[in-house]
Amino acid sequence: MLAYVARRLVRLVLSLIAVSIITFGLLQLVPGSFSDLAEVGSTALGDQTSGDGGGDSLASRYGDQVPAWEQYARFMTGLVQWDMGPTFKYPQSSVEELMGEAFLVSLSLAVPATLLTLLVAIPIGMVAAVKKDKLADYGSIFTLTTIQALPGYLFALVLVLVFSVGLGWLPVRGWAGPEYMVIPVVALAVQPTAMLARYVRSSMLEALRDEYVVAALAKGGSRRTVLVRHVLRNSLIPLVTVVGPIFAALATGTVFVEVLLGIPGLGRLFTLAARTRDMPLLMGTTLFFALILMVMNLIVDLVYGLLDPRIRHQQRTSSRWRRPRRAGLLPASQLVDSRTQGGRDDGGGGSETPSPDVSAADGTEVRR
Amino acid sequence: MTATTTEPIEPVDPHSSTNHESAQSELGRGWARFKRNKLAFGSLIFMGVLIVVALGAPWLAPMSYTEQDLTGRLLAPLTDGHLLGTDQLGRDVFSRMLYSLRTALMIGFAAELVALLVALVIGLWAGWRGGRTESLLMSFTDVMYAFPTYLFSVLLVVIMGRTVFAIILAIGIAGWVTQARLVRAQVLKIKNFEYVEAARSIGTGGVAITVRHILPNAVGPLLVTTSFAIPGAIIAESGLALLGLGVAPPTPSWGGMIVDGYTYVLAHPHLIAAPLALFSLTVLAFTWIGDGLRDAFDSSEEDSA
Repeated sequence: MLAYVARRLVRLVLSLIAVSIITFGLLQLVPGSFSDLAEVGSTALGDQTSGDGGGDSLASRYGDQVPAWEQYARFMTGLVQWDMGPTFKYPQSSVEELMGEAFLVSLSLAVPATLLTLLVAIPIGMVAAVKKDKLADYGSIFTLTTIQALPGYLFALVLVLVFSVGLGWLPVRGWAGPEYMVIPVVALAVQPTAMLARYVRSSMLEALRDEYVVAALAKGGSRRTVLVRHVLRNSLIPLVTVVGPIFAALATGTVFVEVLLGIPGLGRLFTLAARTRDMPLLMGTTLFFALILMVMNLIVDLVYGLLDPRIRHQQRTSSRWRRPRRAGLLPASQLVDSRTQGGRDDGGGGSETPSPDVSAADGTEVRR
Repeated sequence: MTATTTEPIEPVDPHSSTNHESAQSELGRGWARFKRNKLAFGSLIFMGVLIVVALGAPWLAPMSYTEQDLTGRLLAPLTDGHLLGTDQLGRDVFSRMLYSLRTALMIGFAAELVALLVALVIGLWAGWRGGRTESLLMSFTDVMYAFPTYLFSVLLVVIMGRTVFAIILAIGIAGWVTQARLVRAQVLKIKNFEYVEAARSIGTGGVAITVRHILPNAVGPLLVTTSFAIPGAIIAESGLALLGLGVAPPTPSWGGMIVDGYTYVLAHPHLIAAPLALFSLTVLAFTWIGDGLRDAFDSSEEDSA
């Protein structure tokens, strides 16, 4: 286990370095050098370039006379020491200060959104699984797939149209108090909820087919007990792999909602940096995003192993590329497709598998 | 350039033999199944209409999408012949919506074409050659997974500028990874089939086998992912525009219309409601077509790598 963790950590660091090199390399291709930016005077750079040149000034870090590799090396050492220096757009404050503040804002949206997702998605998925092939199942699955097909920010807009414009209950944009959090949190939770609910459903359907369910029923367990004690518990294990990426996507992927609603989070900071071609800030935010995602994936894999001994064993023996299938960062639609498609969950369409209730009762289900 | 990529004319089940006749009948059966799915078939017709409207936008749009009328700004719908009123610069909202459809479809199809081509080349190569090429691809996709796709697109747009071409590339390049993995998985599966071995035993070269035997049999799953990837690209295009990194103005885009209209949302909600509605319908139509294709040519045999 320790060796596995060590190997994963080494890979994480290597991947992060790869991302940093790609990002830095790409940013070197951006038209207009640092000195051009300073001359145009679009930012507060004017005095910085001609200034003392010593110490921590922007020119000494990113000026024309500094070779690219040195800029890169200096930034990366700064990243390790959590001291990334000033940014082009805001020379007075440092990259890590701006990112720290923004991350707190993003986090204060991501945590409630994740909780909301769990609270809503698991019951929906359970109901859909238990009522498989009934109207509630078809209806919910159709709604869920529809929600997943649409972009996430669309729900923010719909909420604004209903609750801000229509009813006048909530503010349209800004960040000044708890009432400003309602629309973004709900909007952010909508899509992960749809994804998670479908997972819960297919995961529970799979668990319902297992023999121990039949055994538990045969021993006289009530349906409710069997559902909660056996089926739900076992079907929640694979869900760990989804919750991690969901949280990571929320902590980082709030970009569109943040920009639209004027929330000063990380996503907005990244967009701002991209629009103003603020190299240090862009590097910082990109790497931070990548780091969160990778750490999240690592945690998920580890927790998964802790929960399921079979996987732990696999981790111990697995080769470099083989590892538990995880949700990763596929777009939601593809994610669900690749994992739940297998002919079983076709989005509420006609499925040939017999109803799990029936098969569980007479125990003649032939496993695929 | 557009219609051919979406019409379900070529899917071949990977399990059907190379026998051409059985492939044909399989195709016919799939098409029959697709037609029976009312939602998917209706979506296909709707998409046909959308494509016609997009191509015909210059003739169908009642007014110019750039012409400003600063005396008639933010007009309500149905005033002065403006079906959906005017925006903050006095431009006709309805016409801009139609042209946005044009922008979205063009970028959606073209970007997916770019992604598909890259994915095919790399996936086929890695799957067929294996070894070092393959592990290189796999480690590369690992790194790309750490990059949220929109982040990568944004970086590319920052570098290349806000032209149509740049945005097509930015979305396409950011999106090929998943499909390359799928292609590779398909190749790995198909390459062990007997007919490939047979072809190899009579001395057919690697390229010929890949193009003649493997590719046609991998089309089915690819068609399905492609039909899901096109709405993804359309969403990405609007997303970039929403961030102020879409196609440079005055070219209209739903994302741009939404972000512009958002400033006036309290007084003029239709400025965002109208583009939002058309945008959602377009994306949903594509998705439902994809669902229909998947059900009709169900070839996904749990083969995600």
